[in-house]
Amino acid sequence: MTLRLQNVQKAYPSGFMAVKGVDLDVEDGEFFTLLGPSGCGKTTTLRMIAGLEAPTAGKIFIGGNDFTDTHPRDRDVAMVFQSYALYPHMTVRENLGLNLEIKHVASAEIVARIQNIARMLDIGALLDKKPGELSGGQRQRVALGRALIRRPNIFLMDEPLSNLDLKLRERTRTELKKLHETLKVTTIYVTHDQAEALVLSNRIGIMDSGDLIQVGTPQEIYDRPKSVFVARFVGTPSINLVNVVVQNLNGRLAIRLTGDEKPLDSVLLPASEEVFRKLGQSGLELILGVRPEAIGVLTGLHPDAAPAEIDLVEPMGSVNNIVLRFTNGVGSTADGEPLIGVVTSNESHERGQKVWIRVRPERLVLFDKATGHTVTVLSKERWEEL
Amino acid sequence: MTAQQAISSAPAHDRAAAQATKGLSFRPTLGNIGAVFVVGLWLFPVYWIALTSLKPIVEINNAVPIFIFTPTLENYRELFTKFDFARVLMNSLVIAFVSCFVVIVLAVLAAYALARMKVPGEKHIALWILSLRFLPPIAVAIPFYIQWQDLNLLDTYAGLIIIYVAFNLPFAIWMMRGFLADVPVALEEAALLDGLTRLQIIRRIVVPVVMPGIASTAIFTFVFTWNEYLMALMLTAFKSVTVPVTIAKFVQPYTILWGQLSAAVVIQVVPMLIVVFLLQRHIVRGMTLGAVK
Repeated sequence: MTLRLQNVQKAYPSGFMAVKGVDLDVEDGEFFTLLGPSGCGKTTTLRMIAGLEAPTAGKIFIGGNDFTDTHPRDRDVAMVFQSYALYPHMTVRENLGLNLEIKHVASAEIVARIQNIARMLDIGALLDKKPGELSGGQRQRVALGRALIRRPNIFLMDEPLSNLDLKLRERTRTELKKLHETLKVTTIYVTHDQAEALVLSNRIGIMDSGDLIQVGTPQEIYDRPKSVFVARFVGTPSINLVNVVVQNLNGRLAIRLTGDEKPLDSVLLPASEEVFRKLGQSGLELILGVRPEAIGVLTGLHPDAAPAEIDLVEPMGSVNNIVLRFTNGVGSTADGEPLIGVVTSNESHERGQKVWIRVRPERLVLFDKATGHTVTVLSKERWEEL
Repeated sequence: MTAQQAISSAPAHDRAAAQATKGLSFRPTLGNIGAVFVVGLWLFPVYWIALTSLKPIVEINNAVPIFIFTPTLENYRELFTKFDFARVLMNSLVIAFVSCFVVIVLAVLAAYALARMKVPGEKHIALWILSLRFLPPIAVAIPFYIQWQDLNLLDTYAGLIIIYVAFNLPFAIWMMRGFLADVPVALEEAALLDGLTRLQIIRRIVVPVVMPGIASTAIFTFVFTWNEYLMALMLTAFKSVTVPVTIAKFVQPYTILWGQLSAAVVIQVVPMLIVVFLLQRHIVRGMTLGAVK
């Protein structure tokens, strides 16, 4: 079942706009995640799709039909709440079957479906227990079962994993992905956890302060973020933002760190005409976005690279996060934050060690200093437009 | 291994020690003794009344209090033969239960509307409803008598039930509003998505979950109605007299019928004990545990 949001808005009587005009097309069977920080409007949008809140403007189409004013009861949309919202006075079996009972499904069918769901989600042993007797993970699976058993057109999930501990969250995440691959129900998923979004989604929609900022596949969002906000939100550790000055050097983009006279020789790459034209407009002082895995931390002597000092080494098991600061007046970060690079834990580094930084030409992004919007993206060793 | 099994499989001297410390241990500290004394002080009148109700009249009127005697049911028998207590008891029971039932039904619905539906000025309405309770009943006792006389409601069940519902509803609504506010909205939203109508949600989801609140409100309403004296005195005469009014009748111009009075008091307390005992099972902590994390 397809889902379309057309200029959907939610304004509160106080004037506050929780959702500022969202346009969205979700394909049949797609797993679409609304990702963003707390208060960005993603849950409100989800609730408008469910019908629990009415949009103050705009339309919602399910399967091509206008469902904007339809009661949630009649939308054939199932939702898993962040708090699970299981009926505490009913057994798991009754929780699962309530919807089917209300819709007057035959009891034989209800029994069959409950068995099926119990097998799928491994909750057979829990059927006669009440929610109060279950653990968090078990309740979560029952909540999922309650939504699945209805075979809805659209599946909505509001941060269903946020109450689980890390290991359980990762396991359930994988199960959810497998479930979606099997059932192929259109799913709208809301979360603030970018790792969840990257793992589970076919496409992600990033929201901030009521606006839908960027929509794309996980890889697109990661490689080609539209703005500093998107780049910083996705990817851990966070992307590094470095102040740079750029110049056209015979058709190649020369990038210079502040305080440095020569451009970085590791990133002297061609750019298209349109890019140079855009640069002409946005000026030459930009912000370079470098992912931690694209920062090379070099020991030994590399006078061509930028000098830096190690502030902290964070061991992460297979890799180490190296927290660095530029030294010798060369290079500065846009927000004053230290740089973070990632190295394998086979190499060893120490606090206070003097090293050299090389920027690898992988997934680099140049942002406009004033607006934070992306000017150009490095793709296959060439600077392109977004 | 349960605690029982752990205890019985341990060596003998350990077993004795475990048995000794199982359950609450009473240590004679000053605080504990003081507590026992105070409780005893408060319970004594209750004990004395129960005792008195079983005493023959001669021993009741004795100058020195008697604690050992041959108990008799004479007082109880007189209640039911001479004072038509069976009917009085029936009156009280019917009036109290019907009032309680009507109050609960109306209060739950009204409180649900206040708690859930976006009523403009909801807080003001709620406070105004509560303020109705501030009215001293005695201020309206006589006006009600006059009106009830015109409406032929004097000395009827209906007459008293209407009054009790009117007086208890405000506080019941206030209590239920609080209890309903504690029911997670997400439960009802999940039920909405499951396809239930609003009434179905109230009946099948909200009421079972808020049952502890309903039980508390019911206990409160029942006790108030059961013990009410003033309005019952004003508005009943012979046919629908209630227990409290009848008990007052035992204080007569020349004598106080202690024996019958005590028996009547004992009987009056029993239904309240039963109602509270039955309903307190529903006040189970954590009724909503497990619904919402």
